[in-house]
Amino acid sequence: MRYVKLPSENLPEFFNRLKKLGKVYAPVQRGSTYSFEQVEYIDDVALHYTRTVLPPKKFFVRPRDPMFKLRGSRWEEVKDGEPSVIFGIHACDIHGLKILDRVYLGEPPDPYYKARREKAFIVGISCMPDEYCFCKSLGTDFAMDGFDLFLHELPDGWLVRVGSVRGHEVVWENEGLFEEVTDEDIRHFREFEDRRAKAFKRSLNREGLADILDLAFHSPVWKKYAEICLGCGNCNVVCPTCRCYEVCDKWINAYEAVRERRYDSCFMESHGLVAGGHNFRPTRLDRFRHRYYCKSYFGTEGFNCVGCGRCDEFCPARIEHVKVLDDVRGVSYEPV
Amino acid sequence: MNPFKSHDVRILEVRELTPREKLFTLRFLDPEVEENFTFRPGQFVIVDVRGFGEFPISICSPPTRKPLQLCIRKAGRMTRFIHGMTEGDVVGIRGPYGNGFPVEKMEGSNLILVAGGLGMAPLRSILWYAIDTGRFEKTYLFYGTKSYEDILFKDEILYLLKHGEKLNCHVKLAYEVETPSCIYLERGFSEKVCRGVVTDLFRGEEFDVHNTYALICGPPIMYRFVIRELLNRGLSPGRIYMTLERRMRCGVGKCGHCIVGTSTSIKYVCRDGPVFNYWDALSTRGLI
Ligand SMILES: Cc1cc2nc3c(=O)[nH]c(=O)nc-3n(C[C@H](O)[C@H](O)[C@H](O)COP(=O)(O)OP(=O)(O)OC[C@H]3O[C@@H](n4cnc5c(N)ncnc54)[C@H](O)[C@@H]3O)c2cc1C
Ligand code: SF4
Ligand code: SF4
Ligand code: FES
Repeated sequence: MRYVKLPSENLPEFFNRLKKLGKVYAPVQRGSTYSFEQVEYIDDVALHYTRTVLPPKKFFVRPRDPMFKLRGSRWEEVKDGEPSVIFGIHACDIHGLKILDRVYLGEPPDPYYKARREKAFIVGISCMPDEYCFCKSLGTDFAMDGFDLFLHELPDGWLVRVGSVRGHEVVWENEGLFEEVTDEDIRHFREFEDRRAKAFKRSLNREGLADILDLAFHSPVWKKYAEICLGCGNCNVVCPTCRCYEVCDKWINAYEAVRERRYDSCFMESHGLVAGGHNFRPTRLDRFRHRYYCKSYFGTEGFNCVGCGRCDEFCPARIEHVKVLDDVRGVSYEPV
Repeated sequence: MNPFKSHDVRILEVRELTPREKLFTLRFLDPEVEENFTFRPGQFVIVDVRGFGEFPISICSPPTRKPLQLCIRKAGRMTRFIHGMTEGDVVGIRGPYGNGFPVEKMEGSNLILVAGGLGMAPLRSILWYAIDTGRFEKTYLFYGTKSYEDILFKDEILYLLKHGEKLNCHVKLAYEVETPSCIYLERGFSEKVCRGVVTDLFRGEEFDVHNTYALICGPPIMYRFVIRELLNRGLSPGRIYMTLERRMRCGVGKCGHCIVGTSTSIKYVCRDGPVFNYWDALSTRGLI
């Protein structure tokens, strides 16, 4: 890794120069929540935000995403992928993007996702956990790759980790804004990381969890929570790794149609419904359990949760992800 | 290359198999695609009815014969629309998708094809593949239908009932609802046709379980009974294959609809299947 320092007074200028790379999106405050929006001035950026409602997946897997336009009787591809800068992504969300990369860039690569991803410049930023975060126990509290630059807060500026050739080029082109890292900066960086590590209030015990969960398929705990769950699908929409989509052809006028994909949720009854009215997950219980199994998959593709805490914060039924898993673990020790 | 973009195909023929199912014979407009389109039995394609949507359909013709054929049941909005189309109309197709049956591994063995209802469609591909290539020991087809009227590919089934032995192919049929046509058929082929369910067709059949593969396709409830029958006869879970259905949108492991399994094993039916063996089912919850 290459490290440089960005002094506080140079941050606004650095931010301005990022605009040369494309539209800049950053977290801004919206009432009591945060959201990634296009931003012109660094003062509008919520540098100390906790989490946005929608994760940065929204830039790459869009809530509504036209794929084709029907011209005459032929599909025309909808091209896009404007260059963009996503400024201020937390480590957990970078891990979320890496999980999406595995899916969407895996064979055959999704051309829409790929175009957007390749044209995006990712700037990470350090954060302090709140009561919902449990990324540390999943190893997603720190990102070693998946970004171009990562800014770590120091008392008088930012320790910048350079994570890619593009990141290196940007630092190079703006050499005047950066300084060498001093021993004191390193000490401050370490202090911040120590303080942060101690600030986590929640953790997920992953020890043997894969088998414990599997054995607890008939655990009454699923039922207990499924009864409180409203089936609203909020937890899916806000999750940085949830990616189910539905596709639909929509007529704009008598001559033109678009094929559009949009977020789908495994909490919707239609998610597993096939011809003849047969449903592979007919009850709320089936769907609730499925989400936990999908998030807690331990195979070669890895864990599908990065511990961002969004599903907890935005669940109207106040269901807590870690608590459900802990509960299931507790029960599965006693045969049910 | 956009993997979601379909190729144009012209409908060469539409044949009504039953009041609910039609057989569509298709040719790719691009001669190069037509020439190079290859697949293995058990794979499926996604049919694209522009402006109406896409749906997955198993390929029901064998790779040994052109042109491509799909058997489509009228089940809802999009399939109703394509049922209204005729010769000369153009739709789209992308694929082939999925893993298909492990034909190389099964060469030289006996094949038992167990079909229930529409499950005959994907199994027809391997049935004719087996007959055309002669690469298998003996092929059995056990086919269970509701009534005589519901038999898919009736002419082919009647032909094989009559002449199957010459082709090393042994066909048996079970029907549930008695009609005059069934009684007539049963009279003609008393050894091969009976009233009952598909598992009744196993009665009196002997096969070397160490040299046999079973391939099952049918409605979800059929699997349990057929598998029990096969296991009782000593067939190993690794020799029992089945093709499964799930809601599918993308066909290539992106949209997440077809995901099944739990924390120890997650499978995408579109990409890891739709053909699975019984061991997969034992180790992946929710597969069947
Ligand atoms: C691998 C695979 C192979 C198949 N092979 C065949 C075949 O050879 N012949 C055949 O007739 N049918 C086959 N099907 C089923 C076929 O895809 C559905 O009948 C079709 O999608 C229904 O579309 P529709 O618009 O007419 O129905 P809709 O109006 O959309 O809905 C009717 C019903 O179909 C369900 N459905 C919608 N989309 C799908 C989907 N993508 N997959 C499954 N069910 C869906 C709906 O939930 C609803 O219950 C196959 C399905 C799969 C997954
Ligand atoms: S499951 Fe919850 S905590 Fe985990 S990544 Fe998704 S939203 Fe975040
Ligand atoms: S957000 Fe909460 S209430 Fe809504 S579906 Fe998810 S768990 Fe259920
Ligand atoms: S059909 Fe989309 S993931 Fe399988």
